Amino acid sequence: MKRRRAIQTLATAAAALPLLRVPLEAQQLSSDHVFVLRDVAATVLPSSIGRKGQDEAVDDFLRWIREYKDGVPLSHGYGEPRLVKSGPSPAPGYASQIASLQAAAKARGGRFGALPLEDRRALLDEAFKAADVRALPGRPDGKHVVADLMAHYFRSSAANDLCYNARIGRNTYRAIRVTTVRPQPLAAQAAGPKPQAR
Amino acid sequence: MPVHESDVCVIGGGITAAMLIERLAELKPGLRITAVEAGRSIFDRENRGTYHRRALEYGEHPWHDDYIEDQQAKGMISMTMAVGGQALHWGGACNRFSEEDLRLKSMYGLAYDWPLEWNELETYYVDAERRLHVAGDPSPYPEDRRSAPYPQPAMPLSYNLQVLKKWAEQSGMKFSPLPLSRNIDKPHGGRGACGLYDTCGDVCPTGARYSPDYTYQQLIAAKKVTLHDRMLVRKLVLADGNDTIVAAHGYHQDRPTEVTEYRARWFVLASGQCWSPHLLLLSATSRFPNGLANRSGLVGRYMNGHKFISAQAMIDEETFPGQNMAHSLISREYFRCAADTPFVRHDTRVWESAAGKEPRLRSADGRLMLGDELLTEWRSRALKGSSVRLRAYYDSHPSADSRLTLDPSSKNRYGDPMPKIERQLDAAALAREGATMHHVTAVFERLARASNGRLVSKPVNSSYWDHPAGGCRMGADPATSVCDSYGRSHDHENLFVIGAPTLPTGGVTNGTLTFVAVSLRSADRLAQLT
Repeated sequence: MKRRRAIQTLATAAAALPLLRVPLEAQQLSSDHVFVLRDVAATVLPSSIGRKGQDEAVDDFLRWIREYKDGVPLSHGYGEPRLVKSGPSPAPGYASQIASLQAAAKARGGRFGALPLEDRRALLDEAFKAADVRALPGRPDGKHVVADLMAHYFRSSAANDLCYNARIGRNTYRAIRVTTVRPQPLAAQAAGPKPQAR
Repeated sequence: MPVHESDVCVIGGGITAAMLIERLAELKPGLRITAVEAGRSIFDRENRGTYHRRALEYGEHPWHDDYIEDQQAKGMISMTMAVGGQALHWGGACNRFSEEDLRLKSMYGLAYDWPLEWNELETYYVDAERRLHVAGDPSPYPEDRRSAPYPQPAMPLSYNLQVLKKWAEQSGMKFSPLPLSRNIDKPHGGRGACGLYDTCGDVCPTGARYSPDYTYQQLIAAKKVTLHDRMLVRKLVLADGNDTIVAAHGYHQDRPTEVTEYRARWFVLASGQCWSPHLLLLSATSRFPNGLANRSGLVGRYMNGHKFISAQAMIDEETFPGQNMAHSLISREYFRCAADTPFVRHDTRVWESAAGKEPRLRSADGRLMLGDELLTEWRSRALKGSSVRLRAYYDSHPSADSRLTLDPSSKNRYGDPMPKIERQLDAAALAREGATMHHVTAVFERLARASNGRLVSKPVNSSYWDHPAGGCRMGADPATSVCDSYGRSHDHENLFVIGAPTLPTGGVTNGTLTFVAVSLRSADRLAQLT
């Protein structure tokens, strides 16, 4: 009871924070859902980007969802082109997926982020298998909100930099001369554990 | 019926039309030129940053409505039909063909000799490179002689490509930065400087990579051309009693039942290798029952381009994928073939790559990985050596049965049969397919070996021919060609076909610069005649 009240208090407080002011359509994700997503993000995103970086990753994911457009022609491709349009927003299933995850966590004893790591892994493994998530999607596809959040972050330019511990800046504006030298390492706090020597 | 009169009516609004019009307007100021393009103008440069972002984030096509859904061809490699054509989203590669491409028959007894001299074509390469503001370095192979330097030094090699160049040259082959039509460090021609967004083949937010829409806007602003877009030309009309073309009949997308007539002294077909022969075939009359310009029966034949072989290698060197994935190295080592060795010609290209180094959700044993564990596993693969992308475009000589035909099973809104392109190698090219694969595989293996490397899998052959060309090949003999070396039809004295369709063979490297060079030569000839 105490824990539930604490979570409710946290959720209410969190909803008022600037980081949570991501205007999603009401029928999609409530501030409570976003709160849970942030809680899950602490597990599924790298710790080295810090809580702030994880929150920013969630915000960027929510922005991506908000700006998604369906029925838009996708790249025709080259060689064997074909006309494909973007499908419906992946977001409609997210609220129920988050609610299911929250309920499953509760059944195991409480808030997702407070469970032992192996319990968290088991919950997500079960959810991903039920949603037929077999690999990290190329882009969020709606099968499961957590897999989509992970794909959105891990396929980003920032994650690429983190992986290589290097300021590569893939697909971002850069001066040509910056790319002609070995990329600089990230700042120590952002890089996290030192990558193994090659 | 609306009627528009001009001195020159150009049908098609791609890169070759842009270059021809620009050159014609310089040589013949005051010439009335009308360009008619089936697709729309996409001139909203101010939105290009947004389109670029959305293409990256959502995979959206950055050139909105650049296609006509019922005007598509089977066997065509791009759907784009818009002012600027496929060069709206090309990579900007500006390789020259080599002298051998023009002399295949006389040097090797293969395919067909082009009816023009290399030295003359070379001067048009220089002009094309100037107009496209190409950045390149002189080739390390002395046979690749040039009469003028590139307008800009080559795009600097990224750290990754510097590493890969050292690696690749241990094979004994010489590599250069790929020549690119790109403003390197300062704006030029109304276009911005490169910001290395690395999305040249999709959309360039700054306009650094040459795009014909800029040229059209400049020509329109200077009143050097009148552009009619969204106007599909469905028929060329012959004069009564002689073989000159008197008009082209167009249909605007918003007025599908109204014929717009374009009258001109000269007509230039600049609609590329697919739609130029298609229009000639569609324009058949009782006097030309097989289509205009087709007394030889060769319109729509000898469709060419080149096939390619691709592979991925893993090597020990350290690179950082994402630095400049659109840039690459090229070797022209195999542009030439000694007469006493089995015939094989190809280019060799090298790119940085992230293949096999993407993040994964599950470990090799199927365990779900989260957060730090996922990152650690990703790093364990990503930081172990480098992935390299390899490719070779090789000589793929077409047979006469490499064809574009009218497909009665596919029609547009007007009931016109759409093109169907089926490419075929000639007998000699088909016979050496296995040997070519064997040779290219050996070259790739030789490259990989230098750094304890290996090919990740067997090299694979392409499912399509790149840089497609042909369908109205040039030649001196009207019995074996559709047009002369300038693209002027043998059958209709006031009709030119320019660019890709006129090429007898497709070379072993990117074709756009050659399409532009031969079009500039057509412009010079047309200027002499007007």
